[in-house]
Amino acid sequence: MYAVLMILMLLIPAGAGIAEACMKRASKTAQDALLVSALAAETLLYALLLFLPVNSSFLLFSMTDVLTIKFRMDGFSILFLALVTVGFLLSGIFATAYMDHSGNRSSFYAFLLFSQFALVGMDNAANLITMYMFFEMATLLSIPLVLHDRTPEAIGASMKYLFYSIAGALLGLLFIFVASRYSDTLDFTRGGSLNLSAVSGHETLLLVVSLLGIVGFGAKAGMYPLHGWLPDAHPVAPAPASAVLSGVITKAGVLAILRLIYFVVGPDFLRGTWVQTVLLSLALLTVFMGSMMAYRQDVLKKRLAYSSVSQISYVLTGLFLLTDQGVQGGLLQILFHACVKICLFLCAGSIIFHSGKTRVSELLGIGKTMPVTLWSFTIASLSLIGIPPAAGFISKWYLAEGALESGLPVMNWLVPVILLISALLTAAYLLPVTIRGFFPGKDYAVSGERSDGIPEFWLPLVILAAMSLLLGIFGGTVTEWAASLASLVL
Amino acid sequence: MILFLILFPFCMAPVCLLASRKSTAARNLTACAACLAEFAAAVLLASAPDLSFSLPGICGLGLTFLSDGFRKIYCLVIAFAWLMTTVFGSEYFSHYSNCGRYYFFNLMTLGATMGVFLSSSLTTALVFFEIMSFTSYTWVIQDETEEATRAANTYLAVAVIGGMVALMGLFLLQSELGTTEITLLYERAAQSGNLPLLYAAGGCILFGFGAKAGMFPLHIWLPKAHPVAPAPASALLSGILTKSGVFGVIAITCNLFFSDQKWGTMIVLFGTVTMVLGAVLALFSVNLKRTLACSSVSQIGFILIGIGMTAVLGPEGSMAASGALLHMLNHSLFKLVLFLSAGAVYMNTHKLDLNEIRGYGRRKPLLKAVFLTGALGIGGFPLFSGYVSKTLLHESISEHAAALAASGQSALLFRTVEWLFLISGGMTVAYMTKLFVALFVEKNRDPAVQARYDADTRPMRPASAAALLIPAVLIPLFGCVPSVFMGRIASAGTGFFRVEPLHHAVHYFSWTCLKGSLVSILIGAGLYFGFIRTCLIRRNAETGTREYVNLWPARLDLEEVLYRPLILRWIPSVLGAVSAFFGENRVSGRLAGILFLAFQRLASWFGTNRITGPVAGKLFSASERLAAWFGTNRITGPAAKTIARSSEIGTHAFSDSLDAFVFLLRRTVYRDAPPPATDEVSTSSAYRLGALRDRTVSALGGQTGPETDYATLYYRMKVTENRVRSKLTGNLSFGLIMFCIAAVAVFLYVLILDRI
Repeated sequence: MYAVLMILMLLIPAGAGIAEACMKRASKTAQDALLVSALAAETLLYALLLFLPVNSSFLLFSMTDVLTIKFRMDGFSILFLALVTVGFLLSGIFATAYMDHSGNRSSFYAFLLFSQFALVGMDNAANLITMYMFFEMATLLSIPLVLHDRTPEAIGASMKYLFYSIAGALLGLLFIFVASRYSDTLDFTRGGSLNLSAVSGHETLLLVVSLLGIVGFGAKAGMYPLHGWLPDAHPVAPAPASAVLSGVITKAGVLAILRLIYFVVGPDFLRGTWVQTVLLSLALLTVFMGSMMAYRQDVLKKRLAYSSVSQISYVLTGLFLLTDQGVQGGLLQILFHACVKICLFLCAGSIIFHSGKTRVSELLGIGKTMPVTLWSFTIASLSLIGIPPAAGFISKWYLAEGALESGLPVMNWLVPVILLISALLTAAYLLPVTIRGFFPGKDYAVSGERSDGIPEFWLPLVILAAMSLLLGIFGGTVTEWAASLASLVL
Repeated sequence: MILFLILFPFCMAPVCLLASRKSTAARNLTACAACLAEFAAAVLLASAPDLSFSLPGICGLGLTFLSDGFRKIYCLVIAFAWLMTTVFGSEYFSHYSNCGRYYFFNLMTLGATMGVFLSSSLTTALVFFEIMSFTSYTWVIQDETEEATRAANTYLAVAVIGGMVALMGLFLLQSELGTTEITLLYERAAQSGNLPLLYAAGGCILFGFGAKAGMFPLHIWLPKAHPVAPAPASALLSGILTKSGVFGVIAITCNLFFSDQKWGTMIVLFGTVTMVLGAVLALFSVNLKRTLACSSVSQIGFILIGIGMTAVLGPEGSMAASGALLHMLNHSLFKLVLFLSAGAVYMNTHKLDLNEIRGYGRRKPLLKAVFLTGALGIGGFPLFSGYVSKTLLHESISEHAAALAASGQSALLFRTVEWLFLISGGMTVAYMTKLFVALFVEKNRDPAVQARYDADTRPMRPASAAALLIPAVLIPLFGCVPSVFMGRIASAGTGFFRVEPLHHAVHYFSWTCLKGSLVSILIGAGLYFGFIRTCLIRRNAETGTREYVNLWPARLDLEEVLYRPLILRWIPSVLGAVSAFFGENRVSGRLAGILFLAFQRLASWFGTNRITGPVAGKLFSASERLAAWFGTNRITGPAAKTIARSSEIGTHAFSDSLDAFVFLLRRTVYRDAPPPATDEVSTSSAYRLGALRDRTVSALGGQTGPETDYATLYYRMKVTENRVRSKLTGNLSFGLIMFCIAAVAVFLYVLILDRI
């Protein structure tokens, strides 16, 4: 059953993508219908997948005895697949309206679907080889999304994306070589697949290589020092693509790191080592640096991109803490950040589409003409800052508790302090949009009609904003689920 | 019941918004009905036995609520204040625009405030505290004037920073004690004993809640935000919202640090500074609402002293606790009355400057009586309720000082506090007299304005008058028979302070008690006649009238001098530079540049043939000779030519295949991409030619249009090119270097490590 569903989930986006690529001449309606129905079918299959027993697996084929393409579904797959299906669906719906703006519809849809194909494969990967293969695919297939506008900036940014990703992936490959040498199996094993008797004597080598591997996969998640591509690549893409790039595709890096730490190397191997300290420092540096750079940006999408740099490293911080609550907070942050960031980028897209304004300083009074959009933006912002009862508060709570619980010297209090400083900066770079948008001043004359565009524009926004609020208020179930996932690997 | 109190206003908020779309009357009706229902619910809650209630899983952490004596009393006060301000608001807002949103957020804030006061854990309190901060932000910015925006942003910044710092405190508490339930804090803290950490946590929470309460040095938002907000909102901000901060301060001071001398003394000191500073600011202010706002800061100081004294005295702190509680209650009432009176003035005159509204209330007995009641109450005159709470506070300080002196310890600190307490009481009397005299006794400097003011005999509608009158009547009522009302309230509420109710009845009208009040009043009278009338009223040289002047140096503003530059300029510039250093890969960019340069040097060194040149030359000549030999050879000649030719074709084919690939892509996937620009010249020589043509044309006396200005076009092309190039080299180089390092690492591993 799992095999059938899984193959369908891979085939549908791939097939629909190829069909889109061939439908250059087809009407807009046909292209849109194909995209949305493919994405909806994928979401439906995901819903069916939820009924299957966890840890179902199947082997697609073996290249050699060791190198196999194998899929397995566990709790983490379910979490990440939720983003890949629902996130893509909502962005896809938005794209059908937004792409009136920039043309070249079919190639955009095709690569959107191809990216989804790669991500679905990656989320279900059962071993390092499969994961690496789909990881590389996700990179290569999402580059055309960045390249879409073909402006000099877009070309530069996509080249940068390519090089950073490949540099990171090569570091990851190095890790795979070493890990395969020191472990019995490449399959993901809870608690790590390293053969500790083989490792003894080579601990330093393994630590260094794990560090390199994590930094490498961290390129995708925008972690310092390989974050440079993200603030360039995300803003130049069309808004729906920025949304999935920031909200979903960056999470591929997070998943890779999660698999690497908790299923290959093992948390016990890293706990208390200098590598953990280095990783936490890098993540915290990214958290702080991202927020600060976002604060200094005026272009809205660029601001949001830097914000992603910062927020995704919250997740990484949680993963690097190697404690129950840290992982729990990280997992929650994955979910909440995806909701929020997709919503924010789509809001930015809607604003650009309807008013052509890209800079925060130009957005005076935007709430008078686009109230629904700005309300969604506001609620998502509050969630991102971590204002209760919106969702972001919960993930921050568990991240901070995880840090205090970890008992690491310095880091145990430094993590919450940096998180809160970053939250303040988040408030400082997001709230002005709302404030200026809704309260333009006494003498501001409203110009233009009050309109949030057609439902394709505002519906995804409202759904995502409502989700980021409701997931916060009724967050008990999700929180417990994240806790059970976290206790599974620790 | 508890849930209803909290959720009902949240549900009514959208209803009210819809009603306000329809008509003003519908809006007023909905809002008043909602507040009335809320008040009825609060009365029901107060008459019911204590309830506790929890919502596990909500907000991820679970919310817990409790209604005990203190909470019930405050719920009543909140619902009462909201009802009065809403009734008053129906007239006040009749000429406002954007009222829908005010009413929407007004009800949201009501729900959130109820949530804060009903919460039994600090986490729950913080959740509602944050909601309250954000929804009440819209009150402050309601007018959207420049001042209002600035004040509102200060308010929001203080609220957000305070909220975050308090959250840090909660993180620490939760991880150290495993709970944030207020009633459990004391026992858990005693078990834990990790005092430094608890002090850190307590300090953070104090910062957060103290900021909302208006405690020095975080009082900055208060004197800015209250005057710009609409009067009903100012009354609530000042009377109720600041108390939610006080709630948090009580929660930690009387629970976490119960009978902790050091903590208590610190709160007393903060309270004293706040009290004196607020009173001094109020004394100097010439703006009606600003004076009242500064007065709020000062009165919060009085309350904080009471809370601090409770912690200092421990189980014997009943008197201080009752004083603090009653003063909270009284202050809510006074500020309700006073700000609504100010609202009545503003509603008719649209001015707040004392010189301009001077004499407004001369012919308005109702307004005069109400304002006077509030003023006498806040000044602590006997027979008014303020007297009771101030007396309790004063007695607790003087008794403690006496006890310290009796046991041979230094009582200097508490004697000083006691005197400052009396002096601040005096200043309260002085600034309230100043307001009263200006508004109701003196005449306006402009007789025409005065005539207009006097002609206005009905300043407000009966409903608004009732909203003013009802709270005003309560003040003398509570004050005349203190043991009936205030004694009961105090004994019901002191449980929250962890102290027993007062055992013995206090003889409020005994000479010892009256003495403190009389000293304050005398100081007040002295200050008014000796300082305000002589120094703060000057004769205006131009008009010859006597005017109130603000002698407080404008530069002496903590916000402008310290906070704004610190937070908006200094910290971002330093930290921003640091993060830009990392964020833009300055180091690695520089490194990449150096490496590139090195490679270039190396390449050019080889290229200029210093070593390889001669070798290559020899090789070249040898091959030439070889080729010549072949070339002259009849047999191999054609073969060599063929080889050379075919290799040439092969090379071309290889290089063309890339073009072919691009061509193929263009024909398939990227079909609808715009074709390469052909209408624009794209080489620099073409631009040069074009520019030459332009110059020739203009030399011959012809005109060149802007679209054919090739020099500009060329310049633009160069700029784009440079921008792309710098983008590519700046960060791409870093990516390339990482790529090389990664590739080298992989190959090293494959070549060397695998062999070991």
